[in-house]
Amino acid sequence: MGWGYTRYRLGKFEEYDIYAKNRNFVAGGAILTFTDTDGRLMALKPDVTMSIVKNTPPAEALRKFYYFESVYRAEDPAAGFGEIPQAGVECIGKLDLYSVSEVVALAAESLKVMSERSILDISHMGVLSGLLEDMGVEARYREELLTLAEGKNSHEARALARRAGMRDEDFELFDRLVHLRDRLAGAVGALEAMELGPRAAEAVTELRDIAGALGDRDNVYLDLALRSDARYYTGLVMKGYIPGLARAVLSGGRYDGLVRRLHQEDGAVGFAVYLGLLENNDTYAPGVDVLIIDEGGDAGELTKYAGELRREGLAVRVDRAAPEGLGYGRLVRFTKEGPVNG
Amino acid sequence: MGETLNVALPKGRLGEKVYKLMESAGYGCPEVLSGGRKLIFESPEGTVRYFFVKPSDVAIYVERGAADVGVAGKDILLEYCPEVYELLDLGLGRCRMCVCGVPGREPVTGKLRVATKFSRIARDYYAGQGRSVDIIHLNGSIELAPILGLSDVIVDIVETGATLRENGLAVLHEVCPISARLIANKVSYKFKYGELTGLVERLRKATEV
Repeated sequence: MGWGYTRYRLGKFEEYDIYAKNRNFVAGGAILTFTDTDGRLMALKPDVTMSIVKNTPPAEALRKFYYFESVYRAEDPAAGFGEIPQAGVECIGKLDLYSVSEVVALAAESLKVMSERSILDISHMGVLSGLLEDMGVEARYREELLTLAEGKNSHEARALARRAGMRDEDFELFDRLVHLRDRLAGAVGALEAMELGPRAAEAVTELRDIAGALGDRDNVYLDLALRSDARYYTGLVMKGYIPGLARAVLSGGRYDGLVRRLHQEDGAVGFAVYLGLLENNDTYAPGVDVLIIDEGGDAGELTKYAGELRREGLAVRVDRAAPEGLGYGRLVRFTKEGPVNG
Repeated sequence: MGETLNVALPKGRLGEKVYKLMESAGYGCPEVLSGGRKLIFESPEGTVRYFFVKPSDVAIYVERGAADVGVAGKDILLEYCPEVYELLDLGLGRCRMCVCGVPGREPVTGKLRVATKFSRIARDYYAGQGRSVDIIHLNGSIELAPILGLSDVIVDIVETGATLRENGLAVLHEVCPISARLIANKVSYKFKYGELTGLVERLRKATEV
């Protein structure tokens, strides 16, 4: 990877203890367990992030990892357990604005690789929850209002707000934020122009700083109603989408709470890409930059030529014919005389 | 021109009402009313593509992205909790989800036997009251259950209450009001944002009329 992250390899099993202690952080809650030969209760990993945090000791430098691993969860209890292949990135340690923005940029660029029409939605969960707190809405109503907001359900949220004693103008502001949708850079500007209470404004400042560091990217949008499936995300959350898939293909955010729960002082940010979803997607066809068709060229010369292209950072495939369904940027025929374009 | 919106409508009377509403909002497709066995109808200008499916399947079509939007009863949304956006209460097909039974014969303590098609709604309702229940899942003729002693009460949709009255039953408590809701696939909402928010705005105005 060109971002200097280190590959992290995990075993498939982990002692069940860690998940039992942090059960609230495991999405869905159900975990596959078995008793090892020495009597220890083991689990098939339901989650990668928790393992990485637990198994990497704090250090002065940031701990930057990427992984390709499978997790085992019952996402839909009616459908039973399944193997969920994931690729992901984690950055753990004393986070600063740059390191958080880098992970967001990496998420946005990962999506671009999957589809030119991708969208990365960003939110800070503190904006809406802070706004409701600033407005003095009781805690028992706040959670339900945020759930309705996540479903873009204004009609029921309005009725609940009335029961909660919210003033009409307060609800209108809340609803405006729920439906605010624009590229991150522009949307944050609109947010700053609004009169928000101190808690919400603090979260907006965090978003503004990230937006500033990222610059105006055409596939990064704001969706303040966004919440994360994994319960350990706090503050910044993100979800990525590509056309042709019915659900988010990328999910991530900051999970400082989990890191602290595992007795570390640091913060953490990361995301996962659900590779299984891409398998059935017609619009995602990973291709190569250069496809070389070997038409009887000298093997040594061909090796040298392909190597030079790869050193330029290009993905190169050498084949005897164009494989069906493989996308490529440029076609080169390699004959006895050497490379010939087209 | 924007992208075509794929719309899943429930078969039957509710679907016809919803189509009329869509038509009044400017999303007409005359072929829909032509009868016959066609399953998919596309408007002449390519704005919308309608297909009619079993009412309880609408949410699945939308959640899985086969339809960008659809119209489903709140009962189905509460029972199956699909991962979709609920954008608008269309106000059509209004009825109530109720606890019904023989008046005066509802046990006030102990485990309550509840017959229903809507197991999750019933379980959530009684969980909210801290009441222990034995849910008996039935697929139809729910009103028979308390009459034959299979259950103490039922949780079911009540429109006029006529069937209840004819069988000596009555509404004991209201669980929640039900009506048809416009739902959208979460990814479609991102990529067809202009088309979807336009549809919501025009439907909102049409329902206000």
